Amino acid sequence: MTGRLRISVILAAAAALLSAPSAVMAQHDRTRTVDIEGVEIIGYRPLKDIGIQSTQMDSLVLQESISLSVADILTQNTPVFIKSYGRGTMATASMRGTAPSHTKVTWNGMTLNSPMLGMVDFSYIPSYLIDDAALYHGAGSVGIAGGGLGGAVTLANTPAATDGFALRYIQGIGSFSTYDEFLRIGYGSRRWQLSTRVLYSSSDNDFRYTNYHKIKQPVYDDEGNITGSRHVEDRNRSGDFADLHILQEAYFNTDSGHRIGLAAWYMSSRRGVPKISTDYRDDNLTRTRQDENTLRAVVSWQTIHGSLKVGARAGYTYTDMLYTYRYDLTGTGQEMIEGIHSQSYVNSLFAKAEAEYAIADKWLFTADVSVNQHFVRSADRSIIVQDGSSAVIGYDQARAEVSAYACVRYRPTQRVGIAASVRDDMYGSRFTPPIPALFVDVLLSKRGELLVKGSVTRNYRYPTLNDLYFMPGGNPELRPEQGISYDAGLSTHVRTARVDFSAAATWFDSYIDDWILWRATAKGFWTPLNIKRVHSYGVELRASIDVDLGRRWSLQANALYTLTHAVNHGDPVSVNDASIGKQLPYIPVRSGSATVRLNWRDWSLIYKWNHYSERFTTSSNDLRLSDPVMPYYMSDLSIERRIALRPIDISLRFDIHNLLDEEYETVLSHPMPRINFGFYIGITPKFGRGKNRRTE
Amino acid sequence: MKRLCVIALSVALATACMKMTGIDVEPIGSTSRGLFITCEGNFMYGNASLSYYDMETRKVENRVFRRANGADLGDVAQSMTIYDGRGYVVVNNSGIVFVIDPDTFVVTATIEGLTSPRYIHFVSPQKGYITDLYDPRIAIFDPRTNAVTGYIDTGSHPSTEQMVQWGDYVFTNCWSYDNKILVIDTRTDTVVDQIEVGIQPTSLVLDCNDKLWSITDGGYAASPYGHEAPSLYRIDPATRRVERRFTFAEGDSPSELAISGDGSRIYFINDDIWQMEVTAENLPARPLVANVGTIYYGLAVDPATGDVYVADAIDYQQPGVVYRYSAAGEAIDRFEVGIIPGAFCFKSL
Repeated sequence: MTGRLRISVILAAAAALLSAPSAVMAQHDRTRTVDIEGVEIIGYRPLKDIGIQSTQMDSLVLQESISLSVADILTQNTPVFIKSYGRGTMATASMRGTAPSHTKVTWNGMTLNSPMLGMVDFSYIPSYLIDDAALYHGAGSVGIAGGGLGGAVTLANTPAATDGFALRYIQGIGSFSTYDEFLRIGYGSRRWQLSTRVLYSSSDNDFRYTNYHKIKQPVYDDEGNITGSRHVEDRNRSGDFADLHILQEAYFNTDSGHRIGLAAWYMSSRRGVPKISTDYRDDNLTRTRQDENTLRAVVSWQTIHGSLKVGARAGYTYTDMLYTYRYDLTGTGQEMIEGIHSQSYVNSLFAKAEAEYAIADKWLFTADVSVNQHFVRSADRSIIVQDGSSAVIGYDQARAEVSAYACVRYRPTQRVGIAASVRDDMYGSRFTPPIPALFVDVLLSKRGELLVKGSVTRNYRYPTLNDLYFMPGGNPELRPEQGISYDAGLSTHVRTARVDFSAAATWFDSYIDDWILWRATAKGFWTPLNIKRVHSYGVELRASIDVDLGRRWSLQANALYTLTHAVNHGDPVSVNDASIGKQLPYIPVRSGSATVRLNWRDWSLIYKWNHYSERFTTSSNDLRLSDPVMPYYMSDLSIERRIALRPIDISLRFDIHNLLDEEYETVLSHPMPRINFGFYIGITPKFGRGKNRRTE
Repeated sequence: MKRLCVIALSVALATACMKMTGIDVEPIGSTSRGLFITCEGNFMYGNASLSYYDMETRKVENRVFRRANGADLGDVAQSMTIYDGRGYVVVNNSGIVFVIDPDTFVVTATIEGLTSPRYIHFVSPQKGYITDLYDPRIAIFDPRTNAVTGYIDTGSHPSTEQMVQWGDYVFTNCWSYDNKILVIDTRTDTVVDQIEVGIQPTSLVLDCNDKLWSITDGGYAASPYGHEAPSLYRIDPATRRVERRFTFAEGDSPSELAISGDGSRIYFINDDIWQMEVTAENLPARPLVANVGTIYYGLAVDPATGDVYVADAIDYQQPGVVYRYSAAGEAIDRFEVGIIPGAFCFKSL
C-alpha cells in the first residue's frame, strides 16, 4: 500500500468516526440505552474478549494500600516482570521477555509511553489513583495500541457512584521516615460525579544495609590493635523522594444518554538517585537527582444509540524532567556545582475517535483513530566549550503519530468466537506495515466453562525520538522493530455455592526481529541499531480461588507462575560474541507470586509471596566473570481492621514488608531495605444518605 | 482449607530465603612479570574487575581484585599505573583510587575525596596528579600518605585525561567537547599554557625524540562543538607548537594511542591496529593487524618485548577478549577477561 493511499485510508476512517457522533445525536433514542460492553453472549464471554489473553486487576487490588504503585500491582498480580530499584526509584516492565518499550500503556485511553524513551516508569503511578487496570498479553495489545510487542497495560479512572458528598482520608507512616497522605473528596448526583484525589508520599528512604561489596573495615581491640575485619554498615542516604499527585475528575451524564468526562492528573516528583553500593564518594559532596513535573488531562465523550456506541477523547500531556549530577569542590557540601544538567520537555496533544457497532449479538465491529502530536526538547547544557561558555547538546523535534484500527468479532455459535483486526501506524511521514491480528476461542465445555483461546499477530514498533535524534548517536535510518507472536490457552471457571475457582494456562511464542539496541561505536558514543533477533516463548499459569468458609470466614487466594525463555538469535556483533542462543540479561526464566487473603468479620490478613529465579547480568549468561542477581523471594504480611461507627468508618492497616528480613538486591549493586513496617489509618465520614453505608 | 493454607504458607516461607554473603578471599598473586587489564564493567552496576595475565605462562587470572580482597573493584575501572612498587587502580564512578600490591593484588591504601577520577601520574615520590571527568581541577596527592593535598585549577576545561611528563612540565589532553592540551608546571602546580589541537584529543604519548603525540576523534556529526576529520598530531613540548598533523579520512575513528618501549614507534586503533615510526612523514598504508571482525576498545604495547595487546569489548554486556600479537603482528594468544576491558598496565620485575 502506498503512503498516499494509506493516508487516505486513515483520513477516511477518521472522518467516518468523527462524523458518527452528529448522526447519532440526531437520531438519539432518549428512552433506551444499551451498554454494548455489558452485553454477554454466553456465560461470561463478552464479544470484546474473543480470543484475548488479559488480566483484570480489580479495585480491591488497586485500592489495597496508598503506598503501592502500579509497579507493585503488576509484580504481584500479573506475569509482568518489573525491574525495580526500590520504592521511589525507576520501575520498568518487561512482558514475555521483551523490553520496557515493548509494553504499551494507556491512561484513560491516552498513551503514557514516553515519546523519547518509549517506556513507562510505573513507580510514578500510584495504584490509588487508578480505578480500573488491565493487562493485555501479546496480540491482545493490538486493540489498545500498535507496537506492544510484549503487551499493553490499560489504566483508567471511573466515576465513583457517589451519592451526595463523600470524603476519605488516609494517613500512613512507615520505616525510614516514610509518610503517605491521601485525601479524596467527592460529590455525586444523578448527573454529576466529581472527585478530587490528592496523594503525597515522601521518604528519607535512608535505610541501613550491610555492604558486602566494599573493602571490609578493620576491627580494633581496646588497645588499638587490629583483631579482624567486618563488612561496612552503609546507609542509603541519597534515595529520598517526595511525590505529589493531584487527580481531578468530573463526569456528567445527560438525560439524553451522553457521558462526558474529564480527568486531569498533575504530578510533581523530587527524587534522589540512590548511590550504588560500590560508590565511595561522600554522600554530602556528590548528589544525583531526578525531578519531574507532569500534567495529563483527558476529556472524553461517549454516547450510545441502539447498537452503536461512539466516543471521542482529547488530551494533553506536559512533562519536564531534570536529571542533575552535582558535586562540591569545597568539601563542605555547601557549594554544589553541576556536572550534568539534562533537561527534557515534552508537550503532547492527543485525540481519539472510537466507535462500536453490534448486530444481533453475533457481530461486533469496532474502529478507532488516534492522533498524537509530540513536541520534544531534550537538552544537556552541562557541556562547557573552550571559551568557557555553555552549549546545549540535544535535539528539538516534533512528530505526529497516527494510528487507525478496525476489528470485527463474530460468534457464529454459542461455543465459537472469532475476531480479526488490523491496525496501521504512521509516525512522522513514515508508516509501519499493517498490523494484523487474529483471535479465536472455543467453549469446549459449558460445565466448568472450559475455554480454549488462541491469537496471532504481526506487530511493529517504530523508533522513539531518542532512537532517531539523540545527540550523539541518534540514528534516523532505523527501521521499526517487528514481531510475530502466537499464544494459546485453556481456562476454566467453576462456581459452587461456597467456592469460586478459576484457572488458566497460556503458551506463548514470539519472534522479534530488528530489535533496536544501543551499541558502542568506535567513536566512543552509543548509537541504536536494528540488530537483535529474539525468540521469546514460555508459559503463563494462574489460578485463583474464593471460598466462603462459613462463620464469617472467607479466603481469597491467587497464584501465578511464568516461564519465560527470551533467547538472543541475532547475528554476532563480533567474532567473540558468546551471546547467541542465550537468555536476555535481567529477564528471569521463572517467576511466580501468590496472594492469600483471609477474612474474618472486619479483619483481614494478607500474605504476599513473590519470586524471581536467578537473572543473568551478561548477554552471554556468564557466571564466572560476572555475578547474576540471586534468586529473589519476598514475603509481605498485612493485617487490616475495619471499624464501622455511626459518623465515620475507620480502617486500620499494618504492613510488614520483607517479612523474613532478607538482605537482597534486585539489580546489581543496588541494595534493598530489610524488614520494614508501615501503618495506615483511613477515615471515611458518613455524610447524609451515606451514613448508613459502609466504607467501600 | 485451613490445612491447605498452612501448607502453602509453609512452602512459601521455606523457599523464601535469599542469602547475601561476603566474597570469599583467596590467597592469589604472582611475582612474575605480567599484565593487568582493567575491565570497566557496566556503568552503575558496580561490576568492574581486574584481570592479570602472566606473559610467560600465558595464564590469565580474572577478578583478581575481588578474589584477593573479598570486595568488588567498583564501578567503571578506568586505568591503572604502577609506581614505586605499588599499583594504583583508578575506579571512575566509585570516586576512588585503590593502591594495591602488584604481586598479591591486596589493597594497601586508598585515595578518596575524588569526583570522577580518570588517570594518575607521578611527578615525584612526593607528588602525584589525578585527572577528572567533571571536576575542573586536577587533584594533587602525596603518594606517601595517599592524601589529596591540593588542586590544579584547569579553568574552563573540566575534562582532563591522560598525562605525560617532559622535564618539569606535565601535559594533559582535554577530551570532552574540547581541543586543548594543557601544560602544567610541576614546580608551581599551575596551568601555564595550552596547545590547541583538533576536536577531542583522546590520548597522549611521548616518543624517544621528546615529541608529544596526540590523536583526536574529530567529534561527531551535528555536534554544536563542531565536527572534523580526526587527526594525529606531533607536538614539540619545548615550543608547545604542533609540528605535524596527519589527517585521517572523515568517518575514521582513530583512538588509543600507544608507544613502544623505546619510544620509536606509535600504535593506534583505527578499525585495524596500526603501527607507525615516529619519524614517518605519512600515515602507514597497511595495518599491523587487520581487524578480525569486531570493534577494538583497548590497546597497549609491551615496553619490553613489543608485543601488542588488543582488547575486544564485544557487545559491552559480556566478558571481553584480549588478543596478544608479536611485534611483527603475528597472533600469539587470546584470552577472556572481564566486562569491557579498556586499559592495560604492565608489571615489570
